[in-house]
Amino acid sequence: MKNQGPSVTNHGRHIAGRVALLAGCAAVLGWIGMPDMALAQDAAAAQAPTAYRDIPYIGSRNLVWIIAQLHLLLAGFVLGVPIFAWLCEIVGWKSGDKRYDKVAKEFTKLLTSSYATTALFGGILLFLLIGFYPKLMAYLTDIFFPSFLVYCCLFLVETATLYLYWYGWDAMAEGNGKKFHIFLGFLLNVFAFFIMIVPNSWATFQSSPVVISEGSDFARAWAATWNPTWWPVNIHRLIANVVLGGYICGAYAGIRYLSARSQEERYHYDWMGYVGNFIGVFGLLPLPFAGYWLMREIYQYNQQMGITLMGGFLSWLFILQAMLIGVLFLGSNYYFWLGITHRIPGSEGQYRKPIMAMLIILLLCLGVWMTPHSLVASLEEAQKMGGTHHPLLGVFGVMSAKMTVSNLMVLVTFMSFIMYWRAGKEDTAGWARAAKALMGGVLGLAAIAVIVLGVWGYFVPAIIRINYFSTSQVGIVIFVMLTITPLTALLLKSAKTTTEMVWGKMPPRAGYALVLNAVMVILLMTLMGYARSSSRVHWHVYGVMRDSSPYAFSPALGYAAALMALNTFLFCMLVAFIFWVATMGDKAKAAASSKGSVEPGTIPAMAGGSPALDGPEAPVTEIDAPERKRPV
Amino acid sequence: MSEVVKLQLIGLCVVGLGTVILPFIKGQFIRVLGFVAIVLGLFSLVALAVPQMASLPPAEESINIADIKTPTDMATIGQKIFFSKGQCALCHSIGPSESARCPDLKGIGAKLSREFIFESLTEPQAYLYLDYRHEGIPKEYPARMPYINKNPIGLSKNEILSVIAFLQQMSGEPISVSPAELDLPRATPAPVKAADAGTLAVAQAR
Repeated sequence: MKNQGPSVTNHGRHIAGRVALLAGCAAVLGWIGMPDMALAQDAAAAQAPTAYRDIPYIGSRNLVWIIAQLHLLLAGFVLGVPIFAWLCEIVGWKSGDKRYDKVAKEFTKLLTSSYATTALFGGILLFLLIGFYPKLMAYLTDIFFPSFLVYCCLFLVETATLYLYWYGWDAMAEGNGKKFHIFLGFLLNVFAFFIMIVPNSWATFQSSPVVISEGSDFARAWAATWNPTWWPVNIHRLIANVVLGGYICGAYAGIRYLSARSQEERYHYDWMGYVGNFIGVFGLLPLPFAGYWLMREIYQYNQQMGITLMGGFLSWLFILQAMLIGVLFLGSNYYFWLGITHRIPGSEGQYRKPIMAMLIILLLCLGVWMTPHSLVASLEEAQKMGGTHHPLLGVFGVMSAKMTVSNLMVLVTFMSFIMYWRAGKEDTAGWARAAKALMGGVLGLAAIAVIVLGVWGYFVPAIIRINYFSTSQVGIVIFVMLTITPLTALLLKSAKTTTEMVWGKMPPRAGYALVLNAVMVILLMTLMGYARSSSRVHWHVYGVMRDSSPYAFSPALGYAAALMALNTFLFCMLVAFIFWVATMGDKAKAAASSKGSVEPGTIPAMAGGSPALDGPEAPVTEIDAPERKRPV
Repeated sequence: MSEVVKLQLIGLCVVGLGTVILPFIKGQFIRVLGFVAIVLGLFSLVALAVPQMASLPPAEESINIADIKTPTDMATIGQKIFFSKGQCALCHSIGPSESARCPDLKGIGAKLSREFIFESLTEPQAYLYLDYRHEGIPKEYPARMPYINKNPIGLSKNEILSVIAFLQQMSGEPISVSPAELDLPRATPAPVKAADAGTLAVAQAR
């Protein structure tokens, strides 16, 4: 294995070198492309301007749709993974549990190749946009050129920080070096955040443009950047990226768990799946609130746009969204429940009833959420019903009902997590009884308050419901989380472990549940991307620059969903390829180790472990120790 | 065969074939891939089962000066410009609105003369509000209004006069602009580079 080490390292460096070259080329091409846009504008002024170009068979819009979607999904992945990895690294550093550090490193390793792929698709997208939409790009360049430069600078510092973060992992593994490394991780995420919000400003300006007065280039760009939906989208995407990172980690762990050959692998990937699902759920809980804020801002900005989304031709899209979110909530809860019943021996009987109750509540809530406002009915049926609204089910088709059930689903999922957290532990604190009564009271009252506000919402004007009732419901759920989480943490600090958690015992369906969750998140991102884009209807820049191309129409949901499914599949294949490339060296390493002096199965088949750390002197005993530590 | 039926057939094939073949596949990665394909196929089939509504763009209208016979015609065109190219409704409302970022324009045609409105649109900094609530030189409040006759909005004189006609009409005032004042049509100026724009006014978007 020692002899194999340098060759693996060289192999890794070789791949990283190619990746860096690709990323560099993409950045240079992007850089070169930007002055081209200004030149195209000059040329356009001199000659008859070309507003659009097309491509045969596939069509310009479809091609841009696919490339933009893949670029955005990859971007979400490369921005979500550093957050995920950094959080894991901090947990590992604080708790001393080396598994977290290893999983953080394993995912950071993916970033180099992921960045290159993202940049590659970004470069392709840029060229396609310049080629297919020269007039629009000239317009946007005129406004945003200074922020293009800022974007390029951010890429440079982000890339430099990523190289330091990845290549310095082993060199900065202990003491102050580790602290500096964590600081680098922080910087990486700060730069990544800014890389996200700069292009967000371009896209949100298209949806919610503001009037730009005269001024310096920077003043104009800043005015356009600070548009009404910029920050809601920034926050929504930030949280969504955490969710994506977490669930993709979960899916990766799920696949590796399904194909694991040794108990060590099963143990490791079961644990990794748990971490991925936990971080995914952690992000998922506040996500509906961020989405609500975004929709509220859209309504505030332009009521017509809000109506197009929620009540117009896109209204059925939100039924699909409800279905996907519902499956995601069910999948995440199901994974928690499988964890309770399989990882904690003897707990199946104890938790069967609460699990069943939660499942019923979730299904009922999902049923309400998926109830359409108006039904597809024949003329005869409509006459019998007295319209397209069902006399009974129609009550569930309105926002008041949907806001209520979405809050209840968040509450149930939160309680699922708390139940998992507390499983196998016995409270020893003297105040445990009072604390549990308080938590039960808070939860019960909160659920009642959410339902009461939901029912009351039917009898007040929409503006009161939107501004006060819905926000109060959100506030109540956040209050529950902020109250119960610290109380549970305090209780568990002094709790006694009655049943030790056993890893690697999950059934195969747990792996599929993790994959399903990831697919749901990706589909949701593609669906809401279509919603955001289609809410502009026939405008490139809403109300300012009209789309006069043959593709000015927004396609129907079925056609769009087929493209979304294709994009999701392509993205999954890309991510699988990235994982395969990144773990190629580790497979060779694992094969060599099985032939070498180290006993088979003592080193988990993990990516990202350097030869130095994976050698006999590496802290593998931490993983293989008989006493498995419970996750924090 | 319609597009929807074709897509439904593809979806059914993916789901059906996947379900039949998957139990016989042993490779875990291929199995997972098949599972993903089935999930995506099901999603597409559900999406194809809901009402299929596309959003078609309205026909583009071009303004022909020769067709403008009366001040009311001008007001009709002005209304369209107010809510589209002029971007007035991005900030202003007609009637009270919580979301409006700038003054309510209801009745503005009755309060202000057409000359003042024209100047407000083309020289928004001509009159500055002054704050005397402190000692010394009064503080100036530059208008947040952009130059409507310059880029990126760039309304022509004809278009501005039409907007004024609309503002007067919706205020219940007699329209004081007449079609005779309209210039012959000219092309909308091309967008200028940001560097060519003026330097004094600071953009205030919100």
